[in-house]
Amino acid sequence: MDSFTAITLAVFLPFVLAGILPMVGKVLKNRIGWYASAVAFLSLMLVAWVAPAVIHGEDIHGSISWLPSVGIDLSFYGDGLSIMFGFIVSGIGLIIMSYSNGYMSTREDLPRYYQQLLFFMGSMLGMVFSANLIQLFIFWELTSITSFLLIGYWRNRPLSVYGATKSLLVTATGGLFMLAGFLVLQSMTGTFDIPAILQNESMIAVIKGHELFILALLLILIGATSKSAQGPFYIWLPNAMEAPTPVSAFLHSATMVKAGIYLVARMHPIFSGTDAWFILVSGVGIITMLAAGFLAFRQTDIKGILAYSTISQLAYLMTMYGYTTHQHPGIGVAAASFHLLNHASFKACLFLVAGIVAHETATRDITKMGGLRKEMPVTFILAVIAALSMAGIPPLSGFLSKEMFYEASLEMGQALGGSFTYMIPALAVLGGVLTFAYSIKLIDGIFLGKRPAHGLPEHIHDPGWVMILPTALLALLIVLFGLVPSIPSHYIVGPTAGSILSETADLHIELWHGFTPSLMMTIVTFVLGILTYTRYESIAAWQNRFNSRHPMISVNYFYDAAVDNAKNITSGFSSRMQPGTVKTYVTALLLLLLVLFIIPVIQISTDVIPAGLNFDIPPYEAILFTFMIIAALGAALLPRYIPAVISLSGLGYLVSLLFIYLSAPDLALTQVLVETLSTIIFLLAIVKIPQRFRERMSTSVLTKDILISSAVALTVFILMINATQGIVSPFESLSHYFIENSLPLAGGHNIVNVIIVDFRGYDTLGEISVLCLAAFGVYNLIHSRGEGE
Amino acid sequence: MTTTITKTVTRICLPLVILFSISLLLAGHNNPGGGFIGGVMFASVIALTYVVYGLDHIKSFFDPDWGNWFGFGLLLASFTAFAAIPFGHNFFRSAVEFLHLPFFGEIELVSAGLFDIGVYFVVIGSLLFIFKSVGDDR
Repeated sequence: MDSFTAITLAVFLPFVLAGILPMVGKVLKNRIGWYASAVAFLSLMLVAWVAPAVIHGEDIHGSISWLPSVGIDLSFYGDGLSIMFGFIVSGIGLIIMSYSNGYMSTREDLPRYYQQLLFFMGSMLGMVFSANLIQLFIFWELTSITSFLLIGYWRNRPLSVYGATKSLLVTATGGLFMLAGFLVLQSMTGTFDIPAILQNESMIAVIKGHELFILALLLILIGATSKSAQGPFYIWLPNAMEAPTPVSAFLHSATMVKAGIYLVARMHPIFSGTDAWFILVSGVGIITMLAAGFLAFRQTDIKGILAYSTISQLAYLMTMYGYTTHQHPGIGVAAASFHLLNHASFKACLFLVAGIVAHETATRDITKMGGLRKEMPVTFILAVIAALSMAGIPPLSGFLSKEMFYEASLEMGQALGGSFTYMIPALAVLGGVLTFAYSIKLIDGIFLGKRPAHGLPEHIHDPGWVMILPTALLALLIVLFGLVPSIPSHYIVGPTAGSILSETADLHIELWHGFTPSLMMTIVTFVLGILTYTRYESIAAWQNRFNSRHPMISVNYFYDAAVDNAKNITSGFSSRMQPGTVKTYVTALLLLLLVLFIIPVIQISTDVIPAGLNFDIPPYEAILFTFMIIAALGAALLPRYIPAVISLSGLGYLVSLLFIYLSAPDLALTQVLVETLSTIIFLLAIVKIPQRFRERMSTSVLTKDILISSAVALTVFILMINATQGIVSPFESLSHYFIENSLPLAGGHNIVNVIIVDFRGYDTLGEISVLCLAAFGVYNLIHSRGEGE
Repeated sequence: MTTTITKTVTRICLPLVILFSISLLLAGHNNPGGGFIGGVMFASVIALTYVVYGLDHIKSFFDPDWGNWFGFGLLLASFTAFAAIPFGHNFFRSAVEFLHLPFFGEIELVSAGLFDIGVYFVVIGSLLFIFKSVGDDR
């Protein structure tokens, strides 16, 4: 098995195996979670199979032809960056799905839950390994959709639905901006292939000098920031916490929200080294880092604190990837890549701890908790490891990457010079102080202090090993990466940074590196952090007062207003456009048909009716036509439904006779059958409606109707005349191709059938899908009557 | 419509029409017929039975979930479309194979025929699904 096959399998196996999950679920019942875990394990192994080659500096690139004519292929690209994400996605996926076995109650709809998780995992893997921009966009939107489904997992809770809708609206809209950015990028480079752009330095130089540079950068960054909840787009992430906690740990802290960061890292070689990159990426990052860290103080829900902390930590990553100068395009790349790995581990671990606490105490309100260290000693230790790593305490992994963040900030400040020399490191320290404060709050609020007298269940204990083991595994990684940083730096971070900077990064991360300026900054962070923590409650109280006094100063206020307005406008629009009478729709359709038919006829020929027409009608056909005219008049004029319907189907059968006469047996057969079936359905429906249908019509309505139908009839007549014996067509007829190739290419004598199932098979697939949708539509129409309005 | 004549005619027609619809389906590649026509024919004879004998009476001993039929059909059709990819061909590439069997003579196997069977099931399933929903409605 070559590496390309392994990556393809790692991406598509979760989809295929999730497809058959409901069937497996019937056998495994409540143990279905272990099947999903096994699938995640399989993907992890496939990624691990590819990893050694990539670590040794070899890039994997292969493609399967998909839409070659427009430059879109199904192609995968594996470099250090995608492999790191591949490990995070499949590894955390495995941990989350194992943990869910203990977390999710067996009364829940487990197959739906695990199926959506696997779909998400496959989409995420597909996104990080995409070598084609359009393919990346497709997988990107798939992650938005699966995230929407998982946030709204508890469908009957209004808050879940609200959170799910919000996340979809924000991230999918951002995704469309990103698509526009990709198209601009393609217009500059002429290709959708990512490695082709990355490996071509002259092309990157062209992009940097192009006048559309800023536009492409802005559009792509809107996509990235909306997905990673940066800037004003942060609003969806706190509401996404309505999802089951393992989902929040997986999607909304470790993987999906990092898709935006992935995009920034992927685009780094193309756009970095410019002022615009630093101002936009680092600027948004620094503002979000401080604002979200500050807003976290107000939260009383554990998951709320974690959500704001995630936004703030993602902003760290944005800031670091944004540090760039003309000489050194990637000052913070190594630091960012290491912090990305660490954040995935400690934040997922904290979410799992939050899940355990909520599972055991039946609440997520931190004000109702306290003193749980005695009752949950194991959980306490795990929480301390993860939270202290986030706070940046040595010797845990978070300490190392935060030191690197400070170093990069110092370097960036010095490179900019002037007042920036001190301002950028100072802002970085401020971000660290806020992080320190809320990390301590998590431990202090839940585990330390005194147990409240009431509000908690009497007996609280550590959960079983099913939930402890995955959490402990993450905590172990945090300690291991902290104590032996050469493992992640050599195997994961080095190759990642190397692939972004397209050079072999010489990376030495050590626990003790002397009294450097960054160590001083860390000490300052701790001191200020402790001081801030003593004022924690008063800061939170001030935020609450501010918020109740100024409800308009909030992004959420504008989001809600915009959604309300959109709902009002669309409901007004659709009630005007869809009055509900079939006649209105038919009139609109016919008039459109009229316009669409008339335009080409006028353009092609100057004479609407060609000269020298042949009006020789054989007697047999003449008889047939006479009967058809009688039947048509009958259908229009008969005063009752049943005779009118019979007359209409009589017309249909006469048409099929005509088809036989014109030697088109396929058409005749189809016509007879469709006519029969529609007559039966008509007769069934007729029983339920009033028998007299000729209510008095006003003369003006009648005149209008007759005018429209005559005009349509005349148009169709002219069209048929032109098609059969009029002008010479400007195009060569397609039928010769089908007649010649039907037998040699498709092995069939019946050309009509060969066209349907072979030459135009794609169309047929679309048509039968529409048929299925129509069946569902009819079912829903019938069964939803009387509900609601 | 539930006279003795229609009942008797329907009873005789039912197996014949179903057989004919299958033969239309299989003959489709070389002679008039095909999945769509065969499917509509199958659906109309079942619909006729529903009308003549009454939906509730038929449902008491014969009540398949037509939704499953079109689900299966769509799956089969998509499967034949995708099946060419693992063999290194394009999406929807079809294959033709001639098979020589004793007694039957030469038999032509076409992958597009499998697709046609998918179409057949989708047409039957969705038409009867709609038909039953309309008929069930009170």
